[in-house]
Amino acid sequence: MQSLVLYIGFGLVTASILCIGAIGFTLQFGISNLFNLAFGATMTLAAFIAYVCNAAGLSIWVALVLGTVAASLLSYLLNRGLFVPFKGRSSNLFAMIMVTLGVGLVIQYSIEGIWGATNFSYNMTQGSSEHFAGMVFTNTQLVVIGIAVAEAVVVHSLLRYTKLGKAMRAVAVNDRLARNCGIPVRRVVDATWLLSGALSGLAGVVLVMDVQVLNSNSGSDFLILIVAAAVVGGIGSPYGAMLGSLVIGIVGEISAGFVNAEFKDIAAFVILVAVLLLRPTGIISSVASAKEVAR
Amino acid sequence: MSSAWQFYIATLVIYSFVYIIAASGLNLQFGVAGIYNFAYIIFQAAGAYCTAVLSLGNPHASGSFQSYILGLSLPFPVPLLISAVFAGLLGVGLGAVTIRRLRADYLAIVMLVISLIATDVVTDATGLFNGATGLSLVPQPFSSLTSSTTAYNWIYAVYAGVVCVIVLMAVRTIIRSPLGRSLRSVRENEHAASALGKNVVGLRLFVFGVGGAIAGVSGSVLVSFTQAWAPSSWLYGETFVLFTALIVGGVGSNLGPVLGALLVPVVLAEGSRYIPQFGSPTLVPSLEWIVIGIVLIAFLWFWPRGVVPEPKRIFPKSWSRAAAPATLFEDDHAPQRVGSR
Repeated sequence: MQSLVLYIGFGLVTASILCIGAIGFTLQFGISNLFNLAFGATMTLAAFIAYVCNAAGLSIWVALVLGTVAASLLSYLLNRGLFVPFKGRSSNLFAMIMVTLGVGLVIQYSIEGIWGATNFSYNMTQGSSEHFAGMVFTNTQLVVIGIAVAEAVVVHSLLRYTKLGKAMRAVAVNDRLARNCGIPVRRVVDATWLLSGALSGLAGVVLVMDVQVLNSNSGSDFLILIVAAAVVGGIGSPYGAMLGSLVIGIVGEISAGFVNAEFKDIAAFVILVAVLLLRPTGIISSVASAKEVAR
Repeated sequence: MSSAWQFYIATLVIYSFVYIIAASGLNLQFGVAGIYNFAYIIFQAAGAYCTAVLSLGNPHASGSFQSYILGLSLPFPVPLLISAVFAGLLGVGLGAVTIRRLRADYLAIVMLVISLIATDVVTDATGLFNGATGLSLVPQPFSSLTSSTTAYNWIYAVYAGVVCVIVLMAVRTIIRSPLGRSLRSVRENEHAASALGKNVVGLRLFVFGVGGAIAGVSGSVLVSFTQAWAPSSWLYGETFVLFTALIVGGVGSNLGPVLGALLVPVVLAEGSRYIPQFGSPTLVPSLEWIVIGIVLIAFLWFWPRGVVPEPKRIFPKSWSRAAAPATLFEDDHAPQRVGSR
């Protein structure tokens, strides 16, 4: 029983990192109708930019901000410069997924070409360990959980109470109708990619702060878990992404604790495939149904 | 030509044949029937593992250092045939599970994840196929014929070539037959095909099976040559390389996969060997992947139908004139005739 609570604690940390990334991933899908498989590569790039800043003597928190900004700009440029023109040319969904995968490969292997296939870590302390009701967290992990909660609150307030957020929801459900209602769809899409790109960067840096290992595969390996969380929760729905992150994070850590560490990913993947086959629209299915991901 | 060069070229020829076999199986699934099978490489792996465990012999024999299931030592063509059947059945099974009407990119994601699960399971379950280390010392089928390694490579190249030609002829027969037409109709518009009485699910399962079997054959031919097979031989990136090969060569045509397989995996991968070492030690291998990514994006933008596009299958003009009362519509004087009525 005690160990179960302990593993749930680990699961909360994983779920926090997943939550940051999954909300970004799901916002991109909602607004652009696109599975962006380059998301993992932008995460890795942000983590490496943070590493360079950190190694140059900046505090890890400044590095975190710089990495986030860089990922935000890169995502915006990728969408405007590549994904939007491709979508304008053909509506072939499979071609789009190949394009994002190709972009992801180019970024990932550019990183590997520059920094090599070795492991790096940030120059930071994990802080003292805190105990809560049988769970153990380092100070860094508490901050990570705090960032995730703050991010969830900010995204919730944005979507619920601001004009931009309402416009984003409108474009996600039906972009033509939104355009006809006078919503500047182009600007809303740009804002969403800046935001979701920032979230990818944040997730990348925070991931490395927690696991303390960085290499050129960090982001793309983690991306599959993010996709799992977003799809299980209901692709396109930010609240679904939060729920899905909790499911994938906690179930993954519990199975890692009771079976073995490698089982963590397998458990997440099996949940994902089961959800895709039984209820492909996920837990919160409103956006996924509107996009007709399954007939 | 020196013996080392001959050895190298024969090896390259064998690899080319293996890639052509694999690409034409994927062409049948993706190009002809429009199935987005991002887990294609696991069928090659299934064929390779199957051949390995059917020819390696008893794993508990003295001096054995690897653990695996089964462990038979069947004579040469039997493991190849069983591998094809096994991979084909695996394809039908996986197809039956995943044929729900998922959106194209959604199905691709499911398949990608299935490919990752398979890699994880084979890596973790060390009793199955020796885990991450993989199987090695798979027996060579023609080792009794010659003692020279170069001569052996040429013999093997002939064998791979024969298998390749058989596979290509089979795929060509399917593409040209009424069955191929049905498959293309499912690709273009499954509702219309279904309305015309085509069994859409059955056709897709057939392609899953045949494509899987062809992938299994490619794996079998490859593993009997390299004599080793491990989870790192079939990462999902390999599926991506095959898709890139198809898109470059031309999706749905007979010649496309052949050309694509020669251009993308063989020329690009082998070409990078001749780039002198510069920068960090990982720079040149990384460049190979960067180039594959850029080539893919460029082809999707500039030449989405590939180097050898799928031929448009239309009846010759004379036929359509004969078949339809064309004079009514194409005769220059037709409007006047209508007006004068």
